[in-house]
Amino acid sequence: MALTTVARGRVYDWSHAVGRGAAAGTGFNYPQTMCLGKGGTVIVANRGNENNFGMRVNTVRIGAPGEEELLAEFFKWGDGDGRSTWPFGVAVDGQGQVYASDEWHNTISVFDSDGKFLRKWGKTGSGDGELVRPAGLVCEKSGNIIVVDSGNNRLQVFSPDGKFVAKCGKGGSGDGEFNQPWGITLDQAGNIYVADWKNHRIQKLSPQGKFLMKIGQYGTVPVPQGAYAITYLGPYLSTAGTPGYAKAGLLNHPTDVAVDTDGDIYVADWGNHRVCIFDAEGSPLATLIGDAQVMSKWGQQSIDANPDMMKARRRTKSLEPEFRFCFPTAVDFDPETDRIIVADSQRNRLQIYRKVRDYVDFQANL
Amino acid sequence: MAYQDDIALMAHLMRRAGFGARRDELEARVAKGYEATVEELVHPETQPPVDVYTLLRYHPAALLPGGQPPMGNVNYMYHLVNTKRPLEEKVALFWHHLFATGNSKVDNYDQLLLQINLFRERGLGNYRDLLVELARNPTMLFWLDNNENHGTAVNENWGRELLELFSMGVGSYTEKDVREASRAFTGWTFETKIPRLPYGRFPWKFEYRAEDHDDGEKEFLGHRGRLNGEDIINIVVEQPACAGFVCRHLYNFFVADEPQVPAWSIDPPRDPKAIDTLTTTFRESHYDIRSVLRVLFNSSFFKNARFQHMKSPAEVVVGSLRLVGGYEMPRPGYGDLSMQPSYMGQDLLNPPSVEGWHTGQEWINSGSLMARINFVAQLVGDPSLPGVRAIIDRLKAKGTLSPEQLVDGCLDLLGPVEVGADTRRELVDQAKEWGPISWDREVSAQTADKRVGEMLQLIVATREYQFA
Repeated sequence: MALTTVARGRVYDWSHAVGRGAAAGTGFNYPQTMCLGKGGTVIVANRGNENNFGMRVNTVRIGAPGEEELLAEFFKWGDGDGRSTWPFGVAVDGQGQVYASDEWHNTISVFDSDGKFLRKWGKTGSGDGELVRPAGLVCEKSGNIIVVDSGNNRLQVFSPDGKFVAKCGKGGSGDGEFNQPWGITLDQAGNIYVADWKNHRIQKLSPQGKFLMKIGQYGTVPVPQGAYAITYLGPYLSTAGTPGYAKAGLLNHPTDVAVDTDGDIYVADWGNHRVCIFDAEGSPLATLIGDAQVMSKWGQQSIDANPDMMKARRRTKSLEPEFRFCFPTAVDFDPETDRIIVADSQRNRLQIYRKVRDYVDFQANL
Repeated sequence: MAYQDDIALMAHLMRRAGFGARRDELEARVAKGYEATVEELVHPETQPPVDVYTLLRYHPAALLPGGQPPMGNVNYMYHLVNTKRPLEEKVALFWHHLFATGNSKVDNYDQLLLQINLFRERGLGNYRDLLVELARNPTMLFWLDNNENHGTAVNENWGRELLELFSMGVGSYTEKDVREASRAFTGWTFETKIPRLPYGRFPWKFEYRAEDHDDGEKEFLGHRGRLNGEDIINIVVEQPACAGFVCRHLYNFFVADEPQVPAWSIDPPRDPKAIDTLTTTFRESHYDIRSVLRVLFNSSFFKNARFQHMKSPAEVVVGSLRLVGGYEMPRPGYGDLSMQPSYMGQDLLNPPSVEGWHTGQEWINSGSLMARINFVAQLVGDPSLPGVRAIIDRLKAKGTLSPEQLVDGCLDLLGPVEVGADTRRELVDQAKEWGPISWDREVSAQTADKRVGEMLQLIVATREYQFA
């Protein structure tokens, strides 16, 4: 169970995990999307459940291993300004303002960096500026917001105060068409990458919304003989200890995409429980499957406070199921730290890898 | 057979082998043919599975819901409402009745959903193989304490219920058989699983611990040897009592209400010839449930048993939601929707005991009757729902409707529902107070929509509507 992945001149090293399952406070509750904030923070949209708890956006400082810190919580469940029913997308603009979508009310709410509500917009419909199930969000350098208008199978661009600017895309499976898209990101040149969820692919568009490239096709994990299913939808661990993962390039309901400073592309391959890495041309490089062999700080606190949990862990034959991603929904690349941050949704944590620039191979005969 | 009779028979089949069907589906199935429809139903793999990914996009907590409702129920209800494999879900519900396992003890809706999934995947297959899978199913092992059944300290809970409630019924074995069966299942347990804190639930995994198994000689139902668990199941399924027990359960669930199970050792089956037919197929097919159900659905005793079965709360709720439409997608409030059968006395994934739910007339009391009528009436009275709209549009196409035509049209499109003369007279009396209805003008059309909704509400409140 390697912690370091080497592939075609790239090295990815597992760093640490952040978070735990929590309906409020220090932890996450089914993260749907995430974005990078200022000062080494991430901002996470948590979906919650039908008991109406867990829904919120929280700001967490990742720090070094063991330094995770909760900084703010807002957009909790409820009616009225600053509250949400189905929080989904988050994005941060150059001033640190946070934009968050509510895909039940079809609105975009704006908060300051401390989580204080500022304003919101959004109207249900399919006309210009109207929304159905707004999902991922991203802020352009201009300050405009691109909204993945998932139910309308298109992208819409808004000014910071919510005025309609532009749109692109329509329902379908052709180039530039979408089927219930989810996450979105921009590269350094402003090109747009969209996780085209039900089309099982990533689409790259120019800053003006013109189709440039697509990555991936539908494919699922082949289940090896005697495999152990962690959920009835995977991930699967084979009795031989080698996960039987679909080859890179096959995607199952991808939910998010990130691009690093080299142009490499990271895809949250949600239904296959992995992150697929492609080069800038879309050729597969490597896959990450989750390697959380060390407990997060808050996770360790949960165990320390519950002796029965520790007893059970010490009698568990293998903790490998705990290491692996389970429906990872979001991926971001932090250019300041070369970190790849993955929202491991069903495990309510972040798993953090580092793209290692100065890796020197070890002596093979150690 | 007249076309309307074909529709009524197909409606009967779809109520029993599924959760009912709207008129357009019934018409398509009649065109396809009765036996062809039965064949499609017993081969659910020919139809696409439920899109679970869409559920998890909107309700991610429905995958590993833990021990607190309603997210486990949301998962289950989503499948029931959306399935294109109605018999697969109906059979899974049947086994959930028979192999009743509950969250009250398991405290793990995730594990219960896995068990339901086992019933979906194996429920139409070989009963002997299903029993073996059940005996290895960690949810069941925990529910009936087989993880505490040791070679040196026997726990008889699983061994007893296997014989009493899951395969043969009381009177078919002795206390010594219970003891010996339990000894044979010592060492059948599950691995310690990764605990729920801090990252959520992980599943149990079956484990056979040879060192904890009593490998000594046993004597069970006349068979001697160093019997293990599978040997016990092989002996059980060969017993005439087993065939009779399983087939009477199938008859009670799919054909017509029987007395409650504890009375079966006293009360004979209401149709012994039908049970004979089923048990013969059960044995000749080597315990193949698909073969038994094919015979059952094509039999005269099934076709003649219309409205001889009190709808269970699950049938009421799921049948209504599928009839009116509009509840296919997850939405806020799906949790409360998924708990509706509980409010009517059937807490899915949490039966009252290992004996399961009492069925037939025991579904009905003053509280549960009001709950089911109010729930269905609210739905069928909403003309904005697509299934209700479809009923209205079909009536509208007939032009102006007399009171009698309104009543008969609504009875027809809600089932067809068969009501007694007194009930029909009362419905017509009410319709006469409204007079003829028509959609000729905008004002009268609004009134006509409302009247249809009200008539549908009156029908679902009748005694007859509670039967399938």
